[in-house]
Amino acid sequence: MQEGKPLQSKQINRELLLTILNSPKWFFTTVSVLGIIVMVAMGAAGYMINQGFGVTGLNRPVMWGFFITNFVFWIGISHAGVMLSAILRLSKAEWRRPATRAAEILTVFSLMTAMTMPLIHTGRPWRTVYWIYTLPFVPYDYARGIWPNVRTPLVWDPSAVYTYLTSSILFVVVALIPDFAVLRDRTTGMSHRIYGLLAMGWQGNARQWKLQIIAGVLLSALILPVFVSVHSIVSWDFGMAVSVKSWHSTVFAPYFVVGAVHSGVSAVAFVLILLRYVYGWQNYIRHEHIDALARLLVVVATGWFYFLVMEILFGFYGREADEIAVRDYQFMVSPWNIWMMIFVGVTYFLPVAIWLSRSARRNLWIMSLACISVNIGMWLERFLIIVPGLARKQLLTFDWYTYTPSAVEWIIVGGTFAMVTMLMLVIARVVPLIPLYDIKEGEILRTEIKIGRVTVPAVFRED
Amino acid sequence: MAAAEPKGHGQHSGMWIYPDAKVISQDVSEKSKDMAKPFRTALVVTGILFILAIVGFIARAADDGFDEIGPWGYYTALFSMLFMVTSGAPLAACAFRFTKSHWRRPLSRVAELFSIVSILNLLMFIPMMIVLPSLENPAGSVEGQMELRRSIWFEGPIGAPHAWNLAGVAFLTITSIAILWTSAIADMGEARHSATGLKGWLYRKLAGGWYGTKRQWNVQKAGLALLGAFYFMIVVFMHFTISSDYAQSLIPGWKDSIFPVLYTVTAFQASLGAILVTLFILRRWGGYEGYIGKSTFWSASKVLLGLTLLWVYHLFAFFITFWYGRLEVEQNIIKYLIVDTYSVIFLLNLAFSFVLPFAVLVWNPVRRSDWGPSLAGLLALIGGLMFNIRIFVGSANAAPGENIYHFLLHKVPAPVYPDIWDLFIVVGGLGAAVFIYLVSTRILPILSIWEVKEGTFYQKWGKLHRGEYQILGKPE
Repeated sequence: MQEGKPLQSKQINRELLLTILNSPKWFFTTVSVLGIIVMVAMGAAGYMINQGFGVTGLNRPVMWGFFITNFVFWIGISHAGVMLSAILRLSKAEWRRPATRAAEILTVFSLMTAMTMPLIHTGRPWRTVYWIYTLPFVPYDYARGIWPNVRTPLVWDPSAVYTYLTSSILFVVVALIPDFAVLRDRTTGMSHRIYGLLAMGWQGNARQWKLQIIAGVLLSALILPVFVSVHSIVSWDFGMAVSVKSWHSTVFAPYFVVGAVHSGVSAVAFVLILLRYVYGWQNYIRHEHIDALARLLVVVATGWFYFLVMEILFGFYGREADEIAVRDYQFMVSPWNIWMMIFVGVTYFLPVAIWLSRSARRNLWIMSLACISVNIGMWLERFLIIVPGLARKQLLTFDWYTYTPSAVEWIIVGGTFAMVTMLMLVIARVVPLIPLYDIKEGEILRTEIKIGRVTVPAVFRED
Repeated sequence: MAAAEPKGHGQHSGMWIYPDAKVISQDVSEKSKDMAKPFRTALVVTGILFILAIVGFIARAADDGFDEIGPWGYYTALFSMLFMVTSGAPLAACAFRFTKSHWRRPLSRVAELFSIVSILNLLMFIPMMIVLPSLENPAGSVEGQMELRRSIWFEGPIGAPHAWNLAGVAFLTITSIAILWTSAIADMGEARHSATGLKGWLYRKLAGGWYGTKRQWNVQKAGLALLGAFYFMIVVFMHFTISSDYAQSLIPGWKDSIFPVLYTVTAFQASLGAILVTLFILRRWGGYEGYIGKSTFWSASKVLLGLTLLWVYHLFAFFITFWYGRLEVEQNIIKYLIVDTYSVIFLLNLAFSFVLPFAVLVWNPVRRSDWGPSLAGLLALIGGLMFNIRIFVGSANAAPGENIYHFLLHKVPAPVYPDIWDLFIVVGGLGAAVFIYLVSTRILPILSIWEVKEGTFYQKWGKLHRGEYQILGKPE
C-alpha cells in the first residue's frame, strides 16, 4: 500500500501550503455564491421565526421533519473525524495520513451546523436558554412549578454534542500546532503574529514532539467514548419514546453510530476526491487512499446493514398492531415504500457493489458517485425513521396524518450544505487540509524489503 | 533453536521474534508428535470429564425426558457457550487473515482447530432441537394466549425453527472444517511423505494433490478468503437464530433487537479469550515460545479490549432503553435477567465480561505481556459462561408449559439452581471440549507452518537513523 514517488520535505511544504499562501481565481466567486445561499437560508429561518411554524409543513402529529432529519444527518457526518483520525491513529493505519485533517475539520463544521437545526426547530430559539440555565436572573416563572426536565434525552443531547464539539476542536488544534509553526515561519506581518500565537512556541524539539504525540494519542483515546455517546444519545431522543412504536428499539444506539460512521467516512472520501481535484494534490491523496477508505466502507456498510435488518425484523417480531401500522406505512404505502427502496438501494446495495470492484474503487468519478449515494441514502434513512413513525403515532386512525416539507424548510436545509462547503473552503485558506508533519512522518517511515526477486513496500514500526 | 533472540527495545523489549524459516517444519512436526506427561495427564483428566458429561446427559434424559425445555436449561447454556467459542474462533483466523495482520500468523491454526470441537456442538444440538417448544400453540386458539408464539421465523417455513436450526449448525460446522482443511492443506501436503500411520494416511488422503504450485497457492488463498466471507455470514445468522430461538422467543414479550448483536459480541470476546489462553499455554509450557511472540498478545489484546468495551456498550444500550421505557413487561424482564432473579449471575457476568478484563487490559505494560491478555481472555471466558447461564437457564424456565404462548411476562419467575446432573453436564461438557481439542492437536500441527514461514519473509528487523525497528512488509 505505498504508491507514488517519495516526497521531499520542501516539496510537501510548498504544495500543501499552496492553498494558504495563494488563492485560486475561483475561490472568492465560489465562496461568495455559497455565502449568498447561506444568507438566503438565514433569511428563511428568520422569516419562519417571525411568522411561526405555520410556514413549515410541520403539523400534528408530525412535529419533527426536515430540521431534525438534517440535525441527525450532520451529527452523523461529524463521526468521520474520530473514525478516521482517532481510530486509525490508534490502529496505526498508514493510509490515514492524508485524510485525518479534513475529517477532523469536517467534524467541527458539521457539528456546528447540526446544532443550528434544533435551535431553528424550537421556533423561538431564545427560549432554549431555559434548558440550560436555572439562574435567578433568567426570567423563568419557577413559581408555577414548571422546571426544565433534566431527565429527558433532549437535555442529554446538547450536553453530549457540546462535549464532542469542544473535544473535537481541541483535537484539531493539538494536531495543528506543528503546522502552525511551519506557517509562522513562512508568513509575515499580522499572519505571522497570529500563526506565532497559535503555534505556542513550537520549535520542533524532541520534548515538544513527544508531548504532542502523547497528547494526540491520549485525546484519541479520550474522544472515543464521547464519539460513541453522541450518536447514541441522539438515537435515544427516539429510542426512549415508547409512544412512537417504531422508535422504541434497543438496537438504535449502535445502529445510529455505525450509520453515522458510514455516512461520515463516505463524506470524507468525497471531500478528499474533491480536494485532490481542486488543489491538484495527486501526490498526497492517491488512489490507494481512496481504495483503502472504500474497503473500510464495505465493512462499515455491512455492519450498518446488519443493524438495519435487526431493527426491521424486530419491528415485525413483536406483532403489535401499532408498530405494524408504522411498518405497513413504511413498506406498503406510496411514496414511502418507494423512498424505502431507494434508501436501501443507494445506501447499501449500489455503493457496496461498486466497492467490491478494485477498478471501481480506484476510479474517482465512480467513487464520488458511491459516496454521494451513501449520503443521500443516510439522509433519507433519518427522514424515514422520523416521519412515518410520527405519522402513525396515534392509536386512532383519524389522528393519522402525513408531512410535506415547505419551501422554507427546503431552503434552510439547502443552506446548511452551502454553509459546510463554504466553511471548508474558507478554512482551507487558513490551515493546511492535509497535515504536513503526518505526511512527512509517513515518508520517513516508508521503506521496502526484498523477497526473492520481488520488492515489497514496507513500513518501519515502533510497536 | 527455531528463533533468534527476541527483538525490541524500551517498553517493547523482547516483543518480536523472528523464527528461522528453514527449521520450522521439522521442529513443529516433532512438537506435534510429542506426548509429554502433562499432555497425557490433561488428556486423561478431560477424558474422565467427558465421561461425566455423558453420565449427566443420560441421567437428565432418564429423569426428565425431552418433553420440556426447562430441565435442559443448563445443557442449553453449555451448548451456547461451546457454540460461541467454536463458531467465533475460526472467524478470528479469517478476519485477521483478511486484514493482513502479520501478528495473527501463530494464532491462525490455534483458532481454526476449534472447528473440530464444533462437531461436539452439532451432536449436542440434536436433543436441543427436540426440547424446543413448538411455535404453534397445541391448544389452538385460547383466550389470553397466542396461536403462534413470537419467533423470528414468523409463520414459516415448514420445519421452523427446529430443522432449520439443525441445518444451520451443521452447515456452520462443515464450513469451519472446510476452512481448517483449506488452511492446513499446505502443511499436510508437506508432511504427507514423512508422516506415518493414521496421520500419514490422513494426510495423503486430504492433501494428496498438493505440490505447492503457484496456481495451487492462489486457489488456496482465494478459497480461504471466500470461505471466510461465507463463514462470517453464516456465523452472524446462526448467532441470530440461536439467540432468538433459545433465548428471546422463550420469554413472552421480550422484544430486544440488540440481543442478537450482544450475543455475537459475547461470542467474539469469549472465542478470542479462548485463543489467547491456548496461545499462552503453548508459549509457556508447549515449547512454542520461539514462534508465539509477545507481539501477538499485544495486538490481540487491543482487539479484546475493543470487544470488552463493545460488550458493555451493547448491554447498556439494552438496559437503558428498557429501564427508561417503564413498560411493565420490560421492567419484568430487567428484574428477571438483571436486577432480581439472576442478579448474582448478572453481577458475575458483568465483572468477568467487562470490569475485570477492562481493569487488566487498560494498562499498557500488562497488554505487552503474555500473561495479561491471557488472563483477560480467561476472565472473558468465565464471563461468557455466566452470560449463557443467565440468559439460557433464565429463558428455558421463564414460562413453563403453556405459559410460553402468553403475550407478555406478567410476573417475575424464580431462579433455577443446578442439580448434580447439571453440574456433571456443564463441567464435564467443558472438559469434553478440551479433550477433543487436545486430540485434534495430535492430528494437525497447532501452528500454521506455511503462514509462520511466510511471516518470516515479511517481517524484518532493520535500522532507521540511530535506532533499530520492526519492518513490516505489506503485500499489495
